[in-house]
Amino acid sequence: MAAAQIFAVVIFVAMFVLIVMDKIERHYVTLGSGILSLIVVFGICMRNGEAVWNILALKGFATKDFWYQVTETESKGINWATIVFIAGMMIMVEGMAKAGFFRWLCMKIAFMVKCKTIPVFVTFMIMSAVLSMFIDSITVIMFLAAVTVELSQLLKFNPVPMILSEIFCANLGGSATMCGDPPNIIVGTSLGYSFGDFLTNTGLIAGICLIVSIIFFYIVFKKELVSDNDKEIDISKLPKPSEAITNKRDFIVSSIIFGCAVILLVTHSVTHLTVATIGTFIAAVTLIAFAKDAVGLLKKTDYKTLVFFIGLFIVVGGLEETGILEIIADFIEKISGGDAKLMIVIILWVSAVASAFVDNIPFAATMVPVIQSLAETSGIALPTLAWTLSIGTDIGGSATPIGASANVVGTSVAAKNGYPIGWGKYCKKLAPATVIVLAISTVYIFMRYL
Amino acid sequence: MGQLIISVGREFGSGGRVIAEALAERFGIPIYDRHLITEVADRTGLTPEEIEKYNENPKKKIISRRVRGYSNSIEDNIAEMQFRFLKEKSDSGESFVVVGRCSETKLKSNPALVSVFVLADMEAKVKRIMEVYELSEDDAMEFIRKKDKKRKRYHNYHCSGHWGDSRLYDLCINSSCLGIEKTVDYLENYIRARTDI
Repeated sequence: MAAAQIFAVVIFVAMFVLIVMDKIERHYVTLGSGILSLIVVFGICMRNGEAVWNILALKGFATKDFWYQVTETESKGINWATIVFIAGMMIMVEGMAKAGFFRWLCMKIAFMVKCKTIPVFVTFMIMSAVLSMFIDSITVIMFLAAVTVELSQLLKFNPVPMILSEIFCANLGGSATMCGDPPNIIVGTSLGYSFGDFLTNTGLIAGICLIVSIIFFYIVFKKELVSDNDKEIDISKLPKPSEAITNKRDFIVSSIIFGCAVILLVTHSVTHLTVATIGTFIAAVTLIAFAKDAVGLLKKTDYKTLVFFIGLFIVVGGLEETGILEIIADFIEKISGGDAKLMIVIILWVSAVASAFVDNIPFAATMVPVIQSLAETSGIALPTLAWTLSIGTDIGGSATPIGASANVVGTSVAAKNGYPIGWGKYCKKLAPATVIVLAISTVYIFMRYL
Repeated sequence: MGQLIISVGREFGSGGRVIAEALAERFGIPIYDRHLITEVADRTGLTPEEIEKYNENPKKKIISRRVRGYSNSIEDNIAEMQFRFLKEKSDSGESFVVVGRCSETKLKSNPALVSVFVLADMEAKVKRIMEVYELSEDDAMEFIRKKDKKRKRYHNYHCSGHWGDSRLYDLCINSSCLGIEKTVDYLENYIRARTDI
């Protein structure tokens, strides 16, 4: 193994360990590792200035394809499209949250079902999945879990089953679209897939699994959710949805911007606007519409996540350029003996198990070049491997309290309100649900693509 | 009387909690230690036993994760609830004594804070723990080591300064030198001199 390969692996492993140890903030870890990769792997070991430029991928901004893409293209190095899109969506979501949109939506739906516990339980699961198709699951769960706790105190039911179900459905909903979960954005922008491609592939799997999940959670949580007061709820005494709106004008404007974002995303394969263009447009419109608070919105943007992505893409680029990912791909092909079904099972279940314990974003970023290489050598269609990887990383994260960001936020909101959810309580219900959904996905992928 | 907040950090077995209780009595102000657990339990609906289980415990790193300030660790969430509670009490102008809970750091911005760290010679700590918990010498020593290790990890995770580092406190005192009673006298005089109370 060449020195460059050894250093690329050492830096990657050290980065992963430091992320798990959580001693240093993860964006410093990935950025530091990224800089180290540039200096040691590309500079000292490979002495390849061109590779550094390719990894930084800054010239991509100046190309037409970055903003307007007619044919599918694959990208390498720092995936700026992902970063620009996520930044744009973050700014839009901040505007929506400031106007009270999410709290209003949660309360509105609760009122629509007359605040009855079981209907609230079912509708909140659906809402969690649908919202997560377009908005990051952290924001969705942050608001949904808070409203669930509030309703549970007013309606006297245990919020834990509802929060757990919402977390699971948020991760499931995120797997349905290109913009629902960061691994999908990485897969989509790296391999040139559209929103529609995801919706008609992972979206269908997520849809089927959502129905199964709702039935599963209804059966396992029914007893815990039954409220004695269901018959006596006087909803006139509950806080009205309209009270959630902090400013009517801002509320209308943010709703329109969100609607535009959804339309642009759904139609981007027709309009040929890339997610980078959509992210930039949405951010610009939000900042213009909320001109007075523009600085505040920008300050609230989670820049740490964006920095985290930049560092991560450089480190993964180091693995790719040095041929490590090809070695991994060869290894997967070898142990599967070229059997497509076995390869699918390995990618899906290894992705799922890994994502249940470590951050699924670095995992997905690492696996994208691996599946590209596998598709070339094994002959299995790249899209099949891409959907398998997306489903594995997105859904596997639901199995444990640390598997996905939504899980951490949901359990934290619950604990802060006096409902601590330990590993035992969490895994007892959500790990079996994850296994069921993964099994359904495996069967679906076999039947449809092989 | 103006506001007075006495923060007492302590080594396990140093008599820090007893000293804190005596100071609370002498200044006629409430003490938040075990009481803090009850207060947080009342606010959250958790039982004191549940809070006690995670109280002043460092989180288990390998099975914990933090996202945008949210943590799945119950230990973290209980700690944050206690910090928030103390901050609210501090901001409300109430006088009180607080034992541990990183209070010397978390309440540092309040000029009414007097922070003290109580330590003791190992011999004295072992003797005390053997009496209180009816343990053998070896077991007492092991118990002290375990407890202090836990407190140190808890403190150093939630604060930038190091547990027991003299630069973090207004005063560090070895209770074995004067004994508990005289240490309380000394601290009372010091606090009165500092605060004109």
